[in-house]
Amino acid sequence: MPILSLLIFLPLLATAFILALPTRYKSSYKYIALAFTAVQFVLAGICYAKFDASQTGIQDLAGYQFVEQLPWIRLDLGAIGKLEIDYLIGIDGISMPLLLLSAFVMLMAIGASWNIQKSPKGYFALLMVLNMAVMGIFCALDFFLFYLFYEVMLLPLYFLIGIWGGARREYAAIKFFLYTLFGSVFMLLIIVGLYFSVINPITGAHTFNMIYMMNPQNYLGDSIFAWDGYQEILGISARLIGFVVLFFAFAIKVPIVPLHTWLPDAHVEAPTPVSIILAGILLKIGGYGIIRICYSIFPDMAALSNWWLGLIGVISIIYGALNALTQKDLKRMIAYSSVSHMGFVLLGIASLTAEGVSGAMFQMISHGFLSAALFFLVGVVYDRVHDRNIYSFRGLAQLMPKYTGYVAVAFFASLGLPGFSAFIGEAFVIIGSFNAASVGTGLPRWMALAGSIGILLSAVYLLWTLQRMFFGEIRLKGGESWANKLTDVNSREQLILFPTLALALLLGIMPSLVFSNLNASVLNLVSFIQQFI
Amino acid sequence: MLAFSPYISSFIDQIIVSIPYFKPELTLIITFIGTIIASLFVDKYWDKASFTITIAGLLLSGCYLLGQGLSHVEMVGFFDMIHIDTFATSARVIILLSTLLITIFIQQRYQHDRPLGDLYAVVLTATLGLNLLTMSSNWLMIFIAVETVSISSYIMVGYFSSNKVQSEAAMKYVLFGSICAAVMLYGLSLLYGFTGNLNFDAPSHIAGLMEAPRLMISIALLFLLTGIGFKLSFFPFHVWSPDVYQGAPTVITTYLATVPKIAVVVLLSKLLAAWLAVSFYFSDFLAYVIIIIAIATMLIGNLAALRQQDAKRMMAYSSIGHTGILLMAVLVYQNNESNVLLFYLSIYALMNIAVFIFIDSLEVSLGNTSIDSYKGLGKQSPLLFTSFSIVLIALIGLPPTAGFVGKLLIFSKVFEQYQNFQSFGLLALLIVGALTSVISLFYYFKIPLNAFLRDNVDHYSVKSNPLLLGIGLFCTIAVILLGLFPDILLSLF
Repeated sequence: MPILSLLIFLPLLATAFILALPTRYKSSYKYIALAFTAVQFVLAGICYAKFDASQTGIQDLAGYQFVEQLPWIRLDLGAIGKLEIDYLIGIDGISMPLLLLSAFVMLMAIGASWNIQKSPKGYFALLMVLNMAVMGIFCALDFFLFYLFYEVMLLPLYFLIGIWGGARREYAAIKFFLYTLFGSVFMLLIIVGLYFSVINPITGAHTFNMIYMMNPQNYLGDSIFAWDGYQEILGISARLIGFVVLFFAFAIKVPIVPLHTWLPDAHVEAPTPVSIILAGILLKIGGYGIIRICYSIFPDMAALSNWWLGLIGVISIIYGALNALTQKDLKRMIAYSSVSHMGFVLLGIASLTAEGVSGAMFQMISHGFLSAALFFLVGVVYDRVHDRNIYSFRGLAQLMPKYTGYVAVAFFASLGLPGFSAFIGEAFVIIGSFNAASVGTGLPRWMALAGSIGILLSAVYLLWTLQRMFFGEIRLKGGESWANKLTDVNSREQLILFPTLALALLLGIMPSLVFSNLNASVLNLVSFIQQFI
Repeated sequence: MLAFSPYISSFIDQIIVSIPYFKPELTLIITFIGTIIASLFVDKYWDKASFTITIAGLLLSGCYLLGQGLSHVEMVGFFDMIHIDTFATSARVIILLSTLLITIFIQQRYQHDRPLGDLYAVVLTATLGLNLLTMSSNWLMIFIAVETVSISSYIMVGYFSSNKVQSEAAMKYVLFGSICAAVMLYGLSLLYGFTGNLNFDAPSHIAGLMEAPRLMISIALLFLLTGIGFKLSFFPFHVWSPDVYQGAPTVITTYLATVPKIAVVVLLSKLLAAWLAVSFYFSDFLAYVIIIIAIATMLIGNLAALRQQDAKRMMAYSSIGHTGILLMAVLVYQNNESNVLLFYLSIYALMNIAVFIFIDSLEVSLGNTSIDSYKGLGKQSPLLFTSFSIVLIALIGLPPTAGFVGKLLIFSKVFEQYQNFQSFGLLALLIVGALTSVISLFYYFKIPLNAFLRDNVDHYSVKSNPLLLGIGLFCTIAVILLGLFPDILLSLF
C-alpha cells in the first residue's frame, strides 16, 4: 500500500469533495475535513508503529522507509542533458516524527476551525491544500518535488491569512509571502546549480534526487558545486554560497533574528487555526529543511559555519525572549516566544553533537504541539470577547477556572518545567552545545550558557503573564458584559486541549517514544558531518 | 531586361519548386482575399461568413503546417528567401493557434457591435508577416515582414477607436513604429554596405561583420536592435507599449502582447545563434548589449508595474518584464535546441490570452479595467477569479504551474552557459531574473488581493461570455497540467 502517497494526496480528495458539494451543505465541510484528517492521522500512526528504528536514512536511500519511486519527468534537453525528475518519497527518523506531528496539529487546527462562519467552502478547501503541501514537504526526497510542495504551501496560507485574518491581514499576508518567496527564488538558483553538478551514477543523467546530491562521488569534477574543485563565485567558494543561500531560505521560516519580523505580524493577523498551523508545522519546515537539505547536501560547509549558526541561534533565543517580555498582545507574546524556542532548534543543530541534534528534533516536536496549544488557548479568549491585550484582563482564574488550569499547565510545560516535553528538548540542546566544546565541533561553552538564560527569561515572561491575567481581583476592560461572555472552556475545546497537554506530559516522562526513532538517523547525520571537521 | 531573359526559365522553375513549401502562407493569402470578398458581399446576408472563412483558412494553413512539421525536412525556397526548419514550423504552429484563439475572442466580443470582416483580413496579413519573420534569414524579407506586421498592427489598434485615448494610442503607435522601422532600415543598409550580402547566416555576411570598423558596426547593430526592440518592446523602446496596451481594445492588446513577440523572438534567436557562434568584436558587443537590455528590461518592466492601478497597463509592464526573461532565453539559444524557448513561448501565449480574456470579461461588466474595481468580486464569481489567480501565479513563475517550469528551464539553460563560460553577465541575469520574480509577486497579487481579501461596496454582477470563459478555463487548466507534466508539450518540439 503506498501509504505515504495516500497520506499526501488524501487531503486533495477532500478538497475535491468540498468544492463539489453545493454550498447548502456547508455545515458538512468541516466533517469532511475532520474525517480525512483523522484518516491521515491514523495513517501517520501506522507509519509510526511500523517504523523500523534501526534504519539510518539521511544520505542512504536504502535507510529510508516506505519509499516510493516513480519516474515523473524525463526530458531530453540537448546541451543541458537529460532532465530527470522522480516522484521520490520516503521517510527516515528525521521526517517520521514531524509527519506524525503535522497530522496531529492539522487535527487540532480543524478542531479550532469548528465555528468558522465566513465562506467555509473556500476555507476548508484551502486548509486541505495546505495539508497536502505540508505532508509532501516532509516526504519528498526529490528536490524538484520538494520545491513544488514548498511553494504550493505558500498560496493557501496567503489566502488563509488574507481572507480570514484580522485588521491588518493584507499587510501580514503579503509580508509573509514575500519573505518566504525571497528565500525560495534564490534557493531555486541553487537547485539549478546542484542539478548541473550532480549526476545519477546509474543512468549518467543530471538529477534532482536529494540522496544523490548528498554523495560527494556523484558530483562532476568541474561543476559549480564540485567538492574537490575550487569553484568560486565572485571570489567566494561556490559551495559556501550554496549553503548560505539555502540556509537563509529555511532560516526565514524558522525564523531567525533578524529575519523574523514576518512572524509576529502573521500570527497576530492570522485566525487561530492558521496560527496553530504556522507555529505547529510551518516553523518546523525551516528546521527540517536545514537538517535535510543544508546539512546533508553541504556537510562540509555545515562543519565550517556552525559557529555562526550557533550564534544566530543564541541571538534568536535571547532577543525573542526579551521581546516577548515587552509585548502587550498575548498572541504577539507567544509569537515571540516561538522565535525564542525555535532558537534552541538552531543552537542544537549547530552543536553537531548527537545530543544537540536529537534535542533540536525533540524541541521541534514539543514546540509543535505546545505552541499550537498556546495559540489555541489565546483563541479561546479571543473568540469570546475579541480582545487579547494582556492588560484587558485580570483575575480570570475566578471566572474560568478550568481554562486557567489548562493555561497554567501549558505555560509551565513551555517554560521547560521538568516532566514536560519542552524540558527534555531544551535540556538536550544545552547538553549538546555544552559538550560541543569537548567534541571539538567549534561551539564555545558560553553559547550553552546563553541558552540557559533563555530558559530563565521564558519563565519570567510566561509566569508574569499568568500573574497579570489570571490572578488577583476580577477586572475586565469590557466590564460586566465581558464577565458574562467569558464562559469556561467547553467540551470541544477540552477535547483538543487535553490530549495535547497530556502528550506534553507523556513525552516529558517517556522521551524514548521519540528518541528511539530518531536515534539512528541522528547518529548517522552527526557522523556524516563530523568527518568534515 | 534582356540580360535576364536566359535565366527566366530557371527562375520560374525555382519558384514553381518553392511553391509547395509556401502552402501554409499561400493559404493565408487566399483566405485574406476570400475574407475581404466575403465581408463586401456575403456578410450582409450571413454575418458570420468572413469569420467562418478566416477560421477555415487558419485551420487549413495549420494542416499544411502539420504536414511540414511531420516531414522534418529542412526546406529552402524562393532563392534562399525562406528557410523552413522545425523551429520555424513549431513557432508558426504556436502563432497560428494563438491567432485562432484571438480571432474567436474578437468575434465573440464584437459580433453585435460592428462589421468585423476587415479586421479578420488584417489579422490574416499580420499572421502572414509573422510567419515570414520566422522563416527568413534575409534582411530584405525580414524588413518586409516586419512592415507587414507593423502596418497590420497600426490598423488593428485604430480599428475600434471611438474616443480620444484610443486614437492617441493608435497615433503614438504609428509614429513610434515608423521611426523605429526607418532607423532599422538604415541599420540594415549599413550592414549590407559592410558585407555585400543580405543573408544574416551566410558566411560572407559574418565575415563582413568581422572586418567592419568598430564604431560603425556598433551603430549599425544598435540601429538594428531599434527595430527589433520596438516589436519586442524591450528597454529603451518599451515606452509605447503601456499607452497602446491600455488604449487599444483588449482583444487587440491580447494580440499585440502575444503573437508578434513569438515571431520576433524566433527571429532574434536565429540571428544571435548565427552571430554569437563566432567571437569577434561585433558578436561580443551584441551579447553585452543584449545582456544589459535584458537586465534593464526585467527591472524596468517589473518595477514600473508595481505602481500601476490599471490591469491592462499593469499587464503591459508585465509583458515588458517577460520580454526580459525571453531575452535571457534568446541569448543562450543554440541551433537545434529550440524546445525550451518554444515551451516558454507557448506558455506565455496561453497565460496572456487567458489573462486578457479575464480582464475583458470584467471590463464588459464593470466598464473599466482598474484593479480597484475588482474589490470583493472573488466571492461573486469565484470560478473566474480563481482561474485568474492561477494564471497570475503562473506569470510570477510559481509551481505547480507551467510558468514555473518555463522559468526553471530558462534558468537552467543560462546556468549551464554560466558554468561553461563563467561570465559575470550571465550570473547577473540569473540573479536579476530571480529577484524580479519576487517583485512581480507584489503587483500580480494585487488582483487576488482586491478580489478576495477586500469587500466591495457596490454589487456588480459579472456576466461572462460562456465560450470565452471556456477558453480562459481551458488555458488555465493547460497551464497547471503542463506545469505538472511538461513532457506532454516539450516532447512535441
